[in-house]
Amino acid sequence: MATVQEIEDLIGRVALGDRKAFSALYDATSAKLFGTVMRVLNDRAGAEDVVQDAYMKIWRYADRYSANGMSPMTWMITIARNTAIDRIRRTRATVDLDGVAEHLTAPGPGPEQSAVAAGEARRIKACLDELEDDRGSAVRGAYLEGRSYADLADTFNVPLNTMRTWLRRSLQSLQECMAR
Amino acid sequence: MSDLSTDPPREDDDNLLAAEYVLRLLDPAEEAAFAARLSREPALAETVAAWSARFSGLDAEVVELAPRAAVKAGLERRLFGKPEPTPFWQRAGLWQGISLASAAVAAFFAFQTLQPVEEPARAPLFVSEITAEDQSLRLLAVYDSAAGEVRLTRTAGAAADGRVLQLWAIAGEAAPVSLGVLPETAATAVDLPEALRADVAGLVLAVSDEPPGGSPTGAPTGAVLAVGQVSEL
Repeated sequence: MATVQEIEDLIGRVALGDRKAFSALYDATSAKLFGTVMRVLNDRAGAEDVVQDAYMKIWRYADRYSANGMSPMTWMITIARNTAIDRIRRTRATVDLDGVAEHLTAPGPGPEQSAVAAGEARRIKACLDELEDDRGSAVRGAYLEGRSYADLADTFNVPLNTMRTWLRRSLQSLQECMAR
Repeated sequence: MSDLSTDPPREDDDNLLAAEYVLRLLDPAEEAAFAARLSREPALAETVAAWSARFSGLDAEVVELAPRAAVKAGLERRLFGKPEPTPFWQRAGLWQGISLASAAVAAFFAFQTLQPVEEPARAPLFVSEITAEDQSLRLLAVYDSAAGEVRLTRTAGAAADGRVLQLWAIAGEAAPVSLGVLPETAATAVDLPEALRADVAGLVLAVSDEPPGGSPTGAPTGAVLAVGQVSEL
């Protein structure tokens, strides 16, 4: 696995249109992205399409990725995950998810909050386990499988609004726990 | 139905909305509204980035799975079509750090000797090295006539603290036309307005020092830090 610095350098070269760097970036990261997408879609053919779409966005928006404290893997995984979720939801032309990738790397955000959060990231597992029994798996399901409130309400057999209230409280507890 | 009084207080709302946004839990209308705010509110974008970082701890749970080789081949075909010569602005990337003159010579010989069988009607190549007199700021610009955009790579210098760099195009005696505020990233691309595309070789590009958000007047208000004439290779 390439280091963060190596991946960042590759993205920098991709931003200049360097196809060799793009090929190397793909080789270094595609197993992670494909794994991420498979977790959401659970459909190999669909996941292959999505991974291609995701790398097309990475090629197109590499020049908007700036080392602002966001890990390059987080940036790429976010693009892959969002592309996969779009595919399962096939939402009407809602938010352009290219936009999401863009916002993550807009020159605005300073590195501080993200750097602190990145330091906290290791604690997420323990903190999810601290949540009342089902709640941790709901957060996990939302992040790793791209599950919606409706999906989650269905699974946990509660009304949608209850699910949202639960989950929002869980997110608050999670943040407090991770900041400890 | 939840009791509203037990909902988190208002000030926490943006924080939780950001988390829900990252998790893609918002409904399409909420998501669109939130995304629209993001581009205007850097603090909110920062909160989103922080939640992304927090959740990224779960990425370790994803099992890596190599896609079939055909996926990569298909991707490159979709992106680049049939094998093609390297785009010229990619070669421009190699020019970082060397002077325009040597780059021009190198490119000339590359064209002459290395690519004899390329498509005959190659678009003309325009470049400009936008430099400060003391070399404290230096950008290489390459105009992509197919896309109508100027690709820029900053190879030295940066905006002063709390200031931004703004790029201008000047045609002859006409007033400078803003091509936009440059991002902090070293590489970027900006559209060249239609009106300026006819005579690219006659343009001068300049970078001025401006307040955040760019010149409030539509004309350069701060010092002109670097200037470069566009020339055709």
